[in-house]
Amino acid sequence: MSCVDVDPDPPVYYAIDLVPTRKVPGARMAEGQGDVTFATSPFGVSISENGQYVYNLSVAMKNVTLKEGKALDVWVTTPNLDQVKHLGRLDEAFRTVGSVDWNKFLVVVTLESATADPGSTWTGPIVARGMSRSGLMHTMAGHGPFQSEPCAVYGYR
Amino acid sequence: MLKRLLRAVQAGSLLFGTFFIIGLSTSARAQDMDMHAGHNMDAPVMRGDSVLWRMPPMDMSMPMLPGMDTEVPITAAYLPGAGLDPMSVPEAKPFEILDVDDGDTIHLQAGLVRRQIGAQTLVMMGYNGQYPGPLLRVSRGANINVHFVNAIDQPTTVHWHGLRLDDYRFDGIPGISQAPVESGESFLYKLNFPDEGLYWYHPHMREDVQQDLGLYGNMLVNPISADFYAPVNREQTLVLDDILIDANGIIPYGKSAPTHALMGRFGNVMLTNGVTDFSMDVKRGEVVRFFLTNVANSRTFNVVFGGNPIKVVASDISRYEEEMSVSSVVIAPAERYIVDVLFDEPGEVTITNTVQAINHFRGEFYPSVQALATVRVDDTPADVSHAAAFEELRTNEEVIADIDSFRPYFDKAPDKELELTVRVNNLPLPVMRMMEIDTLYVPPIEWNDAMPMMNWVSTGEQVEWLLREKDTGRESMDINWTFQKDDVVKVRIFNSPRSFHPMNHPIHFHGQRFLVTHIDGVENPNMAWKDTAIVPVGSTVDFLVHMSNPGKWMAHCHIAEHLHAGMMLSFEVTD
Repeated sequence: MSCVDVDPDPPVYYAIDLVPTRKVPGARMAEGQGDVTFATSPFGVSISENGQYVYNLSVAMKNVTLKEGKALDVWVTTPNLDQVKHLGRLDEAFRTVGSVDWNKFLVVVTLESATADPGSTWTGPIVARGMSRSGLMHTMAGHGPFQSEPCAVYGYR
Repeated sequence: MLKRLLRAVQAGSLLFGTFFIIGLSTSARAQDMDMHAGHNMDAPVMRGDSVLWRMPPMDMSMPMLPGMDTEVPITAAYLPGAGLDPMSVPEAKPFEILDVDDGDTIHLQAGLVRRQIGAQTLVMMGYNGQYPGPLLRVSRGANINVHFVNAIDQPTTVHWHGLRLDDYRFDGIPGISQAPVESGESFLYKLNFPDEGLYWYHPHMREDVQQDLGLYGNMLVNPISADFYAPVNREQTLVLDDILIDANGIIPYGKSAPTHALMGRFGNVMLTNGVTDFSMDVKRGEVVRFFLTNVANSRTFNVVFGGNPIKVVASDISRYEEEMSVSSVVIAPAERYIVDVLFDEPGEVTITNTVQAINHFRGEFYPSVQALATVRVDDTPADVSHAAAFEELRTNEEVIADIDSFRPYFDKAPDKELELTVRVNNLPLPVMRMMEIDTLYVPPIEWNDAMPMMNWVSTGEQVEWLLREKDTGRESMDINWTFQKDDVVKVRIFNSPRSFHPMNHPIHFHGQRFLVTHIDGVENPNMAWKDTAIVPVGSTVDFLVHMSNPGKWMAHCHIAEHLHAGMMLSFEVTD
């Protein structure tokens, strides 16, 4: 165990790497990151009435060239895509901040019309996407030390 | 076969090195279907004069980690009062309120008591034969004496949590401020109460045992000013705890070192004011002021008042700069919060601990709700309505003015930097292997014991929790800081997510007060003076400590098992 440098910025451990799809002209070399900090709370950590973490999610992109009339919108969605929320539109510095309180979530950056209001979900192509650190949690049934545990018994196919 | 192989490895007779992989032929996988059978889950409490280990209750649908099926903690099992007929010890009574005047001397005795937890009759511990211990109610500025008698079979001390005592020799820290009070001996504590608010007292020796068995009580320091708080209809202390029991009683503790050293001992039965079914009656429209204290060994609570509106008024040592509306109250071990709650609809309100627990085997979060207390709201309207005062979020100018003199220090460079981490040695091999996988995701706060078997078998002899100083590399009790009275010291604490087992830590500074100025670089917009605060996994928290009291003190994690696994340091404030 080595001593890790103290970093007063958002926790690196929970940072979300935004991976480009490389399919959108002007954004094929895009890079991005999402950072979470706790929403303001008198308790240090911010927790909802349902027990979920309430985060401020800050998203930043770079290496993007947008055509006139285009904008990048950031969305958060549950892993099975049944809920989608517009986090914000990236500003001129390609940054935005919003709030998220899901246990596991995906971050999706899409190319949209700069003049249209964002709807309930994205309509343009996906520029980059990432996953909350919690998304790394995966069933152990059938894997590693539990390889002899049949997945089907636990409801997995 | 695998079991024998693992034992041979653990014994050091087969392989050496830090990590390896074991393979099994398919035929070798035929093994006992009941993988929990080796842990004496239904074992009697004792055999002869010996307390027996038996596996703590757990989710039996979760498969046992291969290789763990006969593992038990390496320390001997221990249970105070084991073998005693519960009827031979006095029955504990609900706590009494002791109004203590300036100059008074009170008597406080730690002893064995008989408690009823649900349907079970158990031998536990209590101060003055009560659960919790007596509520000491004093006025700000009072000086009192406490004649303490130790009538349990272990050495103990009493720590007066949060009090900025004039004299550190009464802080209750064995080896620093006083010698242990041996069984049958007594000690005179001299206490002073410089700050209004809610405080608590508890042992500072083997808290994992003594505090868990019931040695805790509140102190309520009344303000001098009549309008210090907004008016309410009634006040109620809620002491939150949990206890780990099965059909045969309390799961034994480790004799020479705590069990549950990785995550702390989570209980499976919730206790509020020492009982499983605490309830109270209010009238419709009443505002109730709750004084919350978390005395659990490890559990952080997220307290929800059935959706009723909550206003946060104060925390450990002071009111907030500004009162706030919240939907729940997050309270870590040893923290206190004072909150007002409006009950404007008749009916029954269940106060709950509502969290998103984690099932690591399934890789999922799941909602976990435990009832803590019941509030019956009668349809009769409140005698006096304080609803308007409840709606007002007061700005506490006195608190702001007090904190103002510390604002110039908010952005100073840290004077001290600590990393929170852990070192392990000789844990069962399956635990070592599993942690490699388990730490793919670690939550900021562990709300539940997500790995009950691995946690149980980890002891303070194998797990060493560390406060590591960044500049010097010194660790825990090798750190001994020195400050001058009234120094304002920024201590930056980073909770490393890359350790063997990252976990949240409630950090407590003895004898002083501090402000949490920043979390992960974000300035805290609304502060209260604290003595204990959470450092979540992966986070960096800035503590601005006002070294107001000369003496020899400690700072430590307030998860009882982490404290006894080494997570503490000492510091001295010179006059």
